[in-house]
Amino acid sequence: MEWAKESLEKLESSRPARLNQSAPIPDSAQAEELLKQYHPDYLGHERQVTVGPNAGDQKFPLELAQLLEGDSPVESDYVPNPEIETDVLIIGGGGAGAAAALTLEGSGLTVHLATKLRLGDSNTVMAEGGIQSALGPDDSPRRHFADALVGGHGKNDPDLLRILCEQGPESIRWLSQLGCLFDQNEDGQFRLRGGGGTSVPRVLACRDYTGLEIMRVLKDAVRLTSTRLLEEHVAMELVDDGKGRVTGAILFDRNAGRPVCVSARAVILATGGSGQIRLQGFPTSNHVGATGDGLVLAYRQGCRLIDLDSYQYHPSGACYPEALAGQLVTEAIRSTGAQVVNAEGVHFIDEMAYRDVLAGAIIKEIAEGRGVKTPHGKSGVWLDTPMVDLKKGEGTLARQFPGLIHRFERYDIDPAKKPILIYPTLHYQNGGIRVDSECRTDIAGLWAAGEVTGGLHGKNRLMGNSLLDITVFGRRSAQSVLDNIPERGAVTLTNLQRFRAERRKIESETVSPKFFPDASGMKLTTDKVEEKPEQETNSSNFEPPNPFNF
Amino acid sequence: MTEKTVKLKISGKTIQARVGETLVHALWAAGMAESVKVGCAGGVCGACTVTLRYSDGRTGGTELACMKPVEAGMEVFPCPVEADAPVTPVAQPELSHLQSVFPTLDRCTKCGSCTTACPMSIPVMDSVLRMQKGEFQAVAEDFTTCIHCGLCRFVCEDKVKPHNMGLWIRRSLGMSRDIAIEKTEVSVEQEWKYLLDESSEQRLQRARQFRKSGRIEP
Repeated sequence: MEWAKESLEKLESSRPARLNQSAPIPDSAQAEELLKQYHPDYLGHERQVTVGPNAGDQKFPLELAQLLEGDSPVESDYVPNPEIETDVLIIGGGGAGAAAALTLEGSGLTVHLATKLRLGDSNTVMAEGGIQSALGPDDSPRRHFADALVGGHGKNDPDLLRILCEQGPESIRWLSQLGCLFDQNEDGQFRLRGGGGTSVPRVLACRDYTGLEIMRVLKDAVRLTSTRLLEEHVAMELVDDGKGRVTGAILFDRNAGRPVCVSARAVILATGGSGQIRLQGFPTSNHVGATGDGLVLAYRQGCRLIDLDSYQYHPSGACYPEALAGQLVTEAIRSTGAQVVNAEGVHFIDEMAYRDVLAGAIIKEIAEGRGVKTPHGKSGVWLDTPMVDLKKGEGTLARQFPGLIHRFERYDIDPAKKPILIYPTLHYQNGGIRVDSECRTDIAGLWAAGEVTGGLHGKNRLMGNSLLDITVFGRRSAQSVLDNIPERGAVTLTNLQRFRAERRKIESETVSPKFFPDASGMKLTTDKVEEKPEQETNSSNFEPPNPFNF
Repeated sequence: MTEKTVKLKISGKTIQARVGETLVHALWAAGMAESVKVGCAGGVCGACTVTLRYSDGRTGGTELACMKPVEAGMEVFPCPVEADAPVTPVAQPELSHLQSVFPTLDRCTKCGSCTTACPMSIPVMDSVLRMQKGEFQAVAEDFTTCIHCGLCRFVCEDKVKPHNMGLWIRRSLGMSRDIAIEKTEVSVEQEWKYLLDESSEQRLQRARQFRKSGRIEP
């Protein structure tokens, strides 16, 4: 990082003084000001939509509004003839979908799980910092609730949030019984760390691979159930019984290159977030499939969406090297002692400020010329990672954050020795589909769980509450399906036709969902050759009988 | 700023790529996204496994396309690895359990290919030797960062399945943990009643107050 030599010297020379000094915490008026002036949510890149259940009310980011008003990729003459009949169709192969599948096991219901990529390719597997659960001595689910409500600017759905917090300890027990190994202290108790906005240490982790640990265990467990996996099956559209109830989906089999219609008695939508929409051109920490498909599908069925004017820009996305741009640098590194420092070597804000406030503060530093410019033209501020070892002892960073070290070492950067450059990255969809406390959407037959839903996190999610969300509500959606499963219904495209009729009034060429990031150039293509061996009938195909087959 | 580009080959086809970008982004830009599976593009899902060869004689090997920056003269071959059928973990696992569910464990000839193939720098072969000795705690530690890309199994001539065994051991040990998380709590309903006030403004005020001590202050 020779190009940043001057700034690095300033950072290193201010380090001894910074070591035992805290930085200013913005009071609520200052925080408000930072958000209004610098947070991407507040800059007016939003508008109302003109069709669907949210027409004329809350605003959506411009890129999302366009997708919500888009037309379906389903051909207008397509007739839905179910090729698969199942009891429960789970759409989404991340943590929430997997938790739902595990909960349905043993119920006697047939379960299919469809995922656009492979089982486990999700935002869950990329989560690093941890999972919250009120297990500490001075903690309680009420305190967890209070922290999350304040963090969410008081906009969280209190009923959903209460369920989340009350189910925390039980969720950790469930995950542990499945075989998740959360980090423990020497005394055998779980190691609890603080996170931005937690009033007591409450975050459990598995090093900086917490999501990977949870996802690989859930994935393994799901593969051991009777759940039928439909991997690389993209959900193109939901179908309904003609009377408003969701009764299945049209999937697109990427390998066969054709649509497959599924009839289901219940559908659980667990399609996750939408960072790959790349709002305002921001980098994202999200996986390749995070294109907000579930929002679009549910919207066309008539589900209301809430709080989607609010996205989480994680303050510490990697900014350099370019190949790592947007990738997450976990908040836990900040809660373990790494400070946020500008180009002048000034520790300009307390690093445990709420995520939205800290993201705003970083953008402000750069806007006012106190950022560090990289050779590929991006700007960021320093995350002074060597502070961790100075504060917590030599080797702490490498021991607790092997993922960070591993990713940077191939670029000859050792975060234990040198700071890393960060810039906010589009991280989490705070809002989503409106659900009740049983994960039911506005439309019968359709449940939703995880990042695709809205309300739980209000306008800003705290670290460690999304891994808990997918566990609690993934399971809860399945339980609600078990308790309320409808009979099989007809399969029609009535809701889609109604939506199509409504959108005739607007001029939009957009086809949605997006399915894949724009940069990938990937599309649902029907021109693929099926890789089936040709059926030959001539005698050259004759195989001699197996002599050992008595 | 002029952007430097390099030439490399993907499955024999030459493409041009921008210096600084990863193989995945180079493939996307070249319109060849479908040639390598991509899940997370962040180095943790294990979908984008490839093998590499260099025209200048440097040793190639296996890599994750999403983490590997492009280099001039690189030859890239997609190397997708299918998932293997999982094995049910057991509480209080012993060596005999592992041997019976993974009968190829003792076939390891210590060639070291698995360690070389691992994109996460896990000492895979050493860990297989630890498995043979029943040192499960150490194995669980070794496989903390395993992304289950399957390359260690894919390259093994002796059909040893290191990452599957690593997960089996981790899950088995996890299931064996005795965790006590039940605690008796007082004034639960009273606190909920306080926090769940009807007015959202009041709720926020009360939450601000409550989080300071974790109690209703008089």
